[in-house]
Amino acid sequence: MRKIKEFINNFGLPRIIIGLFLLLLFVVAPFVGVKVSTSINDTIVRFGMNSVMVLAMVPMIHSGCGLNFGLPLGIIAGLLGATMSLEAEVHGFAGFMMAIVFATPFALILGWGYGRLLNKVKGGEMMIATYVGFSSVAFMCMMWLLLPFKNPTMVWGYSGRGLRTTISTEGYYLHVLDSFLEIKLGPIVIPTGMLLFFAVLAFGMWAFLHTKTGTAMTAVGSNPVFARASGINIDNIRTLSVIMSTWLGAVGILVYQQSFGFIQLYMGPFYMALPAVSAILIGGASVNKATIPNVIIGTLLFQGILTMTPSVMNSAVHTDMSEVVRIVVSNGMILYALTRKTEATR
Amino acid sequence: MKRKCLVVRLIAIVLVIALAVLMFLIGRQHTILVDDKTIMLADGTEIKALSTVEVRIDKQEQMELAARDRDQYVVTGQRHTITVAYTDSQWDEHTFSREFEVPIGLDMVIISIPTLVARQDAPVGEWLSEYETPKVVVKQEEEVVTSEDTGLGSSF
Amino acid sequence: MKAVRQTFWKKIGDFVSNNMVPVLFVVICAFSIPLSGYSANYLLSEIIVRISRDSFLIVSLLIPIMAGMGLNFGMTLGAMAAEIGLICISDWGIVGIPGMVLAAIISTPISVLLGWWCGKILNMAKGREMVTSYIIGFFMNGIYQLVVLYCMGAIIPVRSAKLVLPRGYGIRNTVNLSGIRKSLDNLVSLKIAGISIPIATFAVIVVLCLFVVWFRKTKLGQDMRAVGQDMEVARAAGIKVEETRIISIIISTVLAGYGMIIYLQNMGTLNTYNSHTQVGMFSIAALLVGGASVAKANIRNVFLGVILFHLMFIVSPMAGKNLIGEAQLGEYFRVFVSYGVITLSLVLYEVRKKREANREGQELAADQKEDAR
Repeated sequence: MRKIKEFINNFGLPRIIIGLFLLLLFVVAPFVGVKVSTSINDTIVRFGMNSVMVLAMVPMIHSGCGLNFGLPLGIIAGLLGATMSLEAEVHGFAGFMMAIVFATPFALILGWGYGRLLNKVKGGEMMIATYVGFSSVAFMCMMWLLLPFKNPTMVWGYSGRGLRTTISTEGYYLHVLDSFLEIKLGPIVIPTGMLLFFAVLAFGMWAFLHTKTGTAMTAVGSNPVFARASGINIDNIRTLSVIMSTWLGAVGILVYQQSFGFIQLYMGPFYMALPAVSAILIGGASVNKATIPNVIIGTLLFQGILTMTPSVMNSAVHTDMSEVVRIVVSNGMILYALTRKTEATR
Repeated sequence: MKRKCLVVRLIAIVLVIALAVLMFLIGRQHTILVDDKTIMLADGTEIKALSTVEVRIDKQEQMELAARDRDQYVVTGQRHTITVAYTDSQWDEHTFSREFEVPIGLDMVIISIPTLVARQDAPVGEWLSEYETPKVVVKQEEEVVTSEDTGLGSSF
Repeated sequence: MKAVRQTFWKKIGDFVSNNMVPVLFVVICAFSIPLSGYSANYLLSEIIVRISRDSFLIVSLLIPIMAGMGLNFGMTLGAMAAEIGLICISDWGIVGIPGMVLAAIISTPISVLLGWWCGKILNMAKGREMVTSYIIGFFMNGIYQLVVLYCMGAIIPVRSAKLVLPRGYGIRNTVNLSGIRKSLDNLVSLKIAGISIPIATFAVIVVLCLFVVWFRKTKLGQDMRAVGQDMEVARAAGIKVEETRIISIIISTVLAGYGMIIYLQNMGTLNTYNSHTQVGMFSIAALLVGGASVAKANIRNVFLGVILFHLMFIVSPMAGKNLIGEAQLGEYFRVFVSYGVITLSLVLYEVRKKREANREGQELAADQKEDAR
């Protein structure tokens, strides 16, 4: 009995509940006429779409900057890369790579500034991150109207000025990763390219965390006093983690766009931090501890619930409660994480 | 000391509930339909509609009803006065007023003016009854907007 | 002579850096108002309406700040309780002042319950109250939707068919509050130079302000201030820290509920699923614009904030249109400024807190050096 209790405590009761709930949904699915194969397919695709943005949470959690509610800043860098790539009329996979290339300097600069800011406000990072994210999205709203883009697929028809709210990636880099090395298992189509891309990045992150700088980063987050005593420059490491997180956010939104098919500007990125934050928390991370398995498990569970709930509940109870479930699950998870006493020192 | 606190709290709660009930009664809005139609009574007799009659509720606008006419008043609260001016078969004009209370819980009531005129002292129940609106099924698609992504509306 | 001039500039510099946010806003307004082309009369009447409409809500934020809980993003919970109260009275057809009072009475126990729950969770997340209350607001929005969009009409009986969605359950997107529309505003209203001033509403706000002032002096109020200053010292002094914190949130939530009713009686329509989310953000932004900080806020901040924030809010679209040719730009600008001001205030607060802690640490070290000598 005690062992079970220990297991529950370690694994986290909410995670178990969510896992069981998801299992339940999958079991019920065929009975209400929802094809399990489609659901699995959708879940895998959504996993791929969101995984990189969830991965972006890891560096900042490691370095003690908390949950990166300011992910929209990285997303904006990605959006700038995407729009510039489309403006430069680069198509296909090259277009995707160009987007990353264009996005990177923005991500680096924005991440650096954001990191410096967070260093000045140690202790209140999460709240400020949220509002930095919001302010930058609002600022970019103004910019999207003013920046001199000319590509007719991107700008409003009549005035020829100002970007549209949603821009299609069709003809540019739609599905470039998804269809790369696609594997068809009967009705299930696995977007191998996208999953491979995530695997490469995840492996890169894992490898980084085992380098000297990476372990320094972990030290800064879990034991800042020890880190300083070892001669590590805490502020620099933190800034580095923020830059990494911002860059991954930029790449993450590009991966998302190539699968989703649309570039969402203006208020699109506004709330995009929350799903990523909830996902990693569902995966077992806490405010100052996160591992790669957390990312994978968390994204799978979260996207699984997001995919299964509407279809199953719709067919079963004929009501679309998906939005309510999404809100309760994702915010409940974050609340659970915020109220746990896993702080080492503060 | 603790008991006194408890008693005070209970009294406060009772007062608040009483206030709530009072508010409910004072503030309840009703629609009163005034109707000038020929009524067929249970025992087979008929009360004829009046060719013209003037009706007024409380201090609101006076309305003139012809036979088979119906009009409506919107009132707040339970107690009201209805004033009727009619011309009888001898071409004499009569005016009278009746005070009445709208039964609690009803949204819409209908007053049959002919009945009231014929039986001026009759109990309220004879000339005032509940009115149920016919349920019209209108197929309307209404989308529920649960998230305004702009984050800020146009007004605060 | 030169010394006097220098201290004068230093004084100005100090004043600006201490009140950076309001000063910034004054500059923005001074720039945008002439650009927008609105008449002084129009602006004045609009501002008076907004003060009467929003002040109550903003005052409800003062008490948690006093108790050290930071900005209470959980005021959304009070707003939701008020909305449920209003749905009830709309359903039962209660109008006018009695309707408002009844809605307030209905909202109170709901607010108390939600506030108590919110306070308990915040106690479990000490040091992270603001983020937590922020997420609590979102979470409760989900629960609210569950109740209003799914249970009402189905499990919870709703009599009036015009409140319910065509599918048979769930409240509609907008609820017409014509029954209580402007009931408080028009109760006692004065017309000066063509501008109508809702005296009754202002009277209510004044009463609230007096309440807050009085509350600070009560034992409970003093306890809260002690808890806000330093939790451990308060605990050592025998104050029940956790309970006091919860009570501060409960009071704030209840007041937010009443404020929401006043707000909605002026608006006249209830946006069932969106009204409460915007209200929290705006109130906090306005309070910060008035010069409040996460740890310190008073009534002056409330009114200064309402005036400045709403001035900026009103003139931005037209100013943007006249400046660039796009009203949309002005609208985005005001969104940016609203969020930006919160960001700026939060950053300034943290930086200042650190600077003071640094200074105290250095002073302590200097004292110890002195003692050692």
